[in-house]
Amino acid sequence: MLEVQNIDVFYGDIQALWDVSLRVSEGEMVALIGANGAGKTTMVETISGLLRSKAGAITFNNIRIDKKESHKIVQMGISLVPEEKGIFPGMSVLENLELGAFPAESRKHKDESYQSVYGLFSVLESRLQQSAGTLSGGERTMLAIGRALMARPKLLVLDEPSLGLAPLVVKNIFKVIQEIQDSNVSTLLVEQNVRAALRIAARAYIVENGRIADHGKAEKFLHDEKVIEAYLGAA
Amino acid sequence: MTLAFITQSLVSGINVGALYGLTAVGLSLVFGVMKILNVAHGEFIMIGAYAGFWLFTLLDCDPFLGLPLVGIALFLLGMICYKVLFSHVAKFVEEVKLKNSLLIAFGLFLIFPQIAQTLWTGDERAISPAYSGESFAVLGIRIGYVPLGALLVAVVVILGLHLLLNKTYYGKAVRATSENWRAAKLMGINVERTYMVTFSLGVAIAGIAGVLIGLTQALMPAMGMEWTIKALIVVLLAGIGSIPGAFFAGIILGVVEAVSAIWMGPYTVAVGMVILLVILMFRPQGLFGKA
Repeated sequence: MLEVQNIDVFYGDIQALWDVSLRVSEGEMVALIGANGAGKTTMVETISGLLRSKAGAITFNNIRIDKKESHKIVQMGISLVPEEKGIFPGMSVLENLELGAFPAESRKHKDESYQSVYGLFSVLESRLQQSAGTLSGGERTMLAIGRALMARPKLLVLDEPSLGLAPLVVKNIFKVIQEIQDSNVSTLLVEQNVRAALRIAARAYIVENGRIADHGKAEKFLHDEKVIEAYLGAA
Repeated sequence: MTLAFITQSLVSGINVGALYGLTAVGLSLVFGVMKILNVAHGEFIMIGAYAGFWLFTLLDCDPFLGLPLVGIALFLLGMICYKVLFSHVAKFVEEVKLKNSLLIAFGLFLIFPQIAQTLWTGDERAISPAYSGESFAVLGIRIGYVPLGALLVAVVVILGLHLLLNKTYYGKAVRATSENWRAAKLMGINVERTYMVTFSLGVAIAGIAGVLIGLTQALMPAMGMEWTIKALIVVLLAGIGSIPGAFFAGIILGVVEAVSAIWMGPYTVAVGMVILLVILMFRPQGLFGKA
């Protein structure tokens, strides 16, 4: 479904990604794992069209997307929940969700989408008129994920959804990610919470210094002492 | 000093203030969404005023009825200016964008009056339909048809803009872009096109304001700067990004100027500046802005 082939990405003159290739199949959940600054966010931002690759190709359902604008890529069915969440703080929760369904195709199914988002995050439904800037960190994450789902994506890309959240909230978020996965949406999950990510993902890519160092079944890495030690640290 | 006299000043203050508000709204919209400070905003007002003048003198078109035409023409002019001049800087980071766009807008501020000088000469012009001097009295207070019409148009335009931004999908996309353009892109919003439409909308509103201004005072190629400064004062007074706020701040400035004119005569311009300084010292986010 998503095929990233040998991409190089630069920030100005500085190369951030070298020859990165990865693949997400229909309905699959894939985890991207690696240390801070390894290039995980760069990868997902390139997939979403926020950054441009200098070499290589990205295809989505066999259509080249690496030269397309971000908003076109969203319309094609890839939604990114960025690391900083990117909610619109001055707008209400409802308006934030509404904007998630901005692409014409998503707009047609807006009402159904609301219901399924409320089903996943009931707390959002009770805060619809509140301005998004007043939400807590966990609620912001829920809003950002819910908003991305409003677009009815075929591929959901989550960049560090658990970052900075309390353990109990993290557990909740992961439960929802699992539920989204069960509804047959493909997911590309960037996580520092390695153990949790490997538990729900089917496959994983290990990112090191802007390169894919290893990839394979998530289960394999879950029992790989080296991986757990390197990325789990003292936690 | 009679009460009627003060009330009369109050009424004319509201009339002028509505125009201040209308000019400020255009500037505030463009700055709020794009972080581009269009110091040539007044030049677009001037061009709008002359467009109304041409419609009136060459085509015998009523200036009020011609407003939509001027709005459309200026919208197109805004699109051209954006595409040719501003679109290149729109993709830079905020600071670079602000500086570069200031230079471009300053260039326009120098060029447009020259073009106007060539097209319309430096002679003072006026848009003066048959009813321009007429008025009616309410409780002893004279209300002119033209200022009243201008006030109504200003209210309608601002209300329309407010509804557009708050009630329509497209308007929400504009607000989203102003809050976080990167996230807006991830919603599937075409940010580049949103910028172009917003800029052009700001120019169109300036053009409409120009015609209304041209109905109440003389047109000159160099009239723009005065209005840019007024619009800047009102935007800072109101706080960035608040559309109704900009309108009310405009009314406040207009009223304060008009009433203070009773005692201060031609020095009222200073009053606006003093108010601005006080606001900047004690409430830097503006009267209606969020801290």
